[in-house]
Amino acid sequence: MQLECKTYSRDYGSEEVGQGLETESSASLVHNLQELRRSASLATKVFIQRDYSDGTICQFQTKFPPELDSRIERQLFEETVKTLNSFYAEAEKIGGSSYLEGCLACATAYFIFLCMETHYEKVLKKISRYIQEQNEKIFAPRGLLLTDPVERGMRVIRKMKSWWAAGPGIGL
Amino acid sequence: MPAESGKRFKPSKYVPVSAAAIFLVGATTLFFAFTCPGLSLYVSPAVPIYNAVVFLFVLANFSMATFMDPGIFPRAEEDEDKEDDFRAPLYKTVEIKGIQVRMKWCATCRFYRPPRCSHCSVCDNCVEEFDHHCPWVNNCIGRRNYRYFFLFLLSLTAHIMGVFGFGLLYVLYHMEELSGVRTAVTMAVMCVAGLFFIPVAGLTGFHVVLVARGRTTNEQVTGKFRGGVNPFTNGCCNNVSRVLCSSPAPRYLGRPKKEKTIVIRPPFLRPEVSDGQITVKIMDNGIQGELRRSKSKGSLEITESQSADAEPPPPPKPDLSRYTGLRTHLSLATNEDSSLLGKDSPPTPTMYKYRPGYSSSSTSAAMPHSSSAKLSRGDSLKEPTSIAESSRHPSYRSEPSLEPESFRSPTFGKSFHFDPLSSGSRSSSLKSAQGTGFELGQLQSIRSEGTTSTSYKSLANQTRNGSLSYDSLLTPSDSPDFESVQAGPEPDPPLGYTSPFLSARLAQQREAERHPRLVPTGPTHREPSPVRYDNLSRHIVASLQEREKLLRQSPPLPGREEEPGLGDSGIQSTPGSGHAPRTSSSSDDSKRSPLVKTPLGRPAAPRFGKPDGLRGRGLGSPEPGPTAPYLGRSMSYSSQKAPPGVSEAEEVALQPLLTPKDEVQLKTAYSKSNGQPKSIGSASPGPGQPPLSSPTRGGVKKVSGVGGTTYEISV
Repeated sequence: MQLECKTYSRDYGSEEVGQGLETESSASLVHNLQELRRSASLATKVFIQRDYSDGTICQFQTKFPPELDSRIERQLFEETVKTLNSFYAEAEKIGGSSYLEGCLACATAYFIFLCMETHYEKVLKKISRYIQEQNEKIFAPRGLLLTDPVERGMRVIRKMKSWWAAGPGIGL
Repeated sequence: MPAESGKRFKPSKYVPVSAAAIFLVGATTLFFAFTCPGLSLYVSPAVPIYNAVVFLFVLANFSMATFMDPGIFPRAEEDEDKEDDFRAPLYKTVEIKGIQVRMKWCATCRFYRPPRCSHCSVCDNCVEEFDHHCPWVNNCIGRRNYRYFFLFLLSLTAHIMGVFGFGLLYVLYHMEELSGVRTAVTMAVMCVAGLFFIPVAGLTGFHVVLVARGRTTNEQVTGKFRGGVNPFTNGCCNNVSRVLCSSPAPRYLGRPKKEKTIVIRPPFLRPEVSDGQITVKIMDNGIQGELRRSKSKGSLEITESQSADAEPPPPPKPDLSRYTGLRTHLSLATNEDSSLLGKDSPPTPTMYKYRPGYSSSSTSAAMPHSSSAKLSRGDSLKEPTSIAESSRHPSYRSEPSLEPESFRSPTFGKSFHFDPLSSGSRSSSLKSAQGTGFELGQLQSIRSEGTTSTSYKSLANQTRNGSLSYDSLLTPSDSPDFESVQAGPEPDPPLGYTSPFLSARLAQQREAERHPRLVPTGPTHREPSPVRYDNLSRHIVASLQEREKLLRQSPPLPGREEEPGLGDSGIQSTPGSGHAPRTSSSSDDSKRSPLVKTPLGRPAAPRFGKPDGLRGRGLGSPEPGPTAPYLGRSMSYSSQKAPPGVSEAEEVALQPLLTPKDEVQLKTAYSKSNGQPKSIGSASPGPGQPPLSSPTRGGVKKVSGVGGTTYEISV
């Protein structure tokens, strides 16, 4: 699972991208996330990999990728990743609630899963909301976009970077 | 049933599950129909109820085990793939609780399999925490459905025992009517139950042990932790609770994708850029380079310590961080350079641009034929460029991809479609996967990649400044060191090593400049090269000189002839396959190692990878094709083989160029020494080689490389 951080880049040399972005950059841009995803191939992507040092529990490396050095403060990034890690830890926590959920599922011959979503899924929804919130508040203003790891099998978090945010002569 | 592409309806795979279902449901139904009514009368009505509950449990778990997604990983998308694409090693090592675990590259799914993940050939999917593929449920057993499978086994064992036991009870009650229908049926059911009990109970017991140990069937059967420590276990109780009590994991496939709207608009916030980050441009050959080097070093160290990824089992140290740290600086610089280069007037092929020394007055002695050499070189460069493009040799390509696509020269850029970051991360992942002996390669690749972009920068600067030196060509070290190396005036005792891509011809020419007496020997070896490096630095010349001498002294190595052929076959196939990377795992695997190794072994490969490798061809190598493959091949072997292999491979690679093998050996030695954090005591070319480092001129020169590495080069 990876954390994927997307940077949208304007490729000066590439006509297709350059033209497209140049026309847009003059105005304030409202980008549908889907659009962002579509233009993912044009975006620079930074992948934040899983941290397997503690086993197969879901956590991501908090190591700050150098590509984002000039894009976002290290602390903000680390905080985001740490929060995500804590969410995942909560999802995978083995405790009373998860045990009861299992018992209930057994008792109902797993029909309960048709009606109710599992604890993990609930936390995933929370994570998704959190990522959206972070994207809106922190990453989008910096021309970054964080994608939900669950889309990639929780192998990677992807950050997409936007080159519009890039100053002159800086291309990450 | 319509056959999908690549997926045919195979009835044979449904036979076991159908048989299991039929036996289970059929036998139980018979039991309920014939045995239970009597039992409820003679024993208790609770008997059928109990059996019904157990049977329901069996069915539920059987259904869940059969129909539930075991934890299939979706195929990696293109963009992620590029990060780890060709040139990436087959294995990537991670440390889990202090134990090195290998993550294998999955050619089908195009990612490095997370720990405990395995690819099921039946289902053609990578499954998380893959246990096994169960034919009786016709499904993989993985993270998500292992609990249900385990419970199915437990409940089935209980059910079989119950059916057998209660059937026996019934028969005992009806001993006198053994030929009666009910009794006969009950006895038949008992037989079926008894027949299935042994394997089922055996399997159940096996899985109970596995759960207690925290292992998967796959791990147990392949003996992964035989005699070793299992990093995935948390103790018996925790393992059991994890299997039975944890919240069911989510599925990755078929997740609903929500459309989210995010507003991205300038002005964008940017973090404050520290001084260290600002020094991107290299206006001066040495000063800024040092700044950047210290910066990159710092970042490298920091990231290194933090990275948990990558690393050959015994030695520590992730190159990922190192590389990415470096890349930032490089990429920062490259953008500026692109603009710089764009302004450069000389209408030369792109590659030509990056050759230092020819375009303007160089610090070295002026060469009378420099202009002609320039032109001829340019021509020859064009050809290698096209060759490079056509062959799409991965080693050449991965390096330049450090720069943003826009920045890439048209000649280079066409073949590359990767972002600098992606290429960098690819390289980093590449490096990270190296084994023990790969650290060198890794460092070299980092360096080389760094040097590539650095070379661009330096060249750009130089073309602007008009002073070029080949010092940058000499140093295999990282780009930051480029400038530092260049900045310092070429030290008088010439460096004993040169880029492996400098052909012997060049070397000879260099030597000729410095030592006219050597000239006659040079041209005799080969046709006149269209490309001439007249203003190679003294270092190169000296090293070439050295090699000349050594070449004359030492006999050619045996077995060199084999390598070219191998290299040819190995590498020439890879360019094609390199970009169609991992469709077939077997071929990919075989190609991976050569591919991976390619950029690693070369000391100055990446930077020279493009120009040099191509240059090598242009330099009069009779076979443009094999040259790069040789080099690439040498690279691939270098990372895997012991140093002798590297030196030999490099020798072979350079053989068509008539480079003295010693040159290769020297370079290999130095490249190896580059990989070491500190300088090697004596620049030994490598085992099995004649002592090339024996200083003929007396003395060992220390040259500082990237990251504080020092090379001792015999002078």
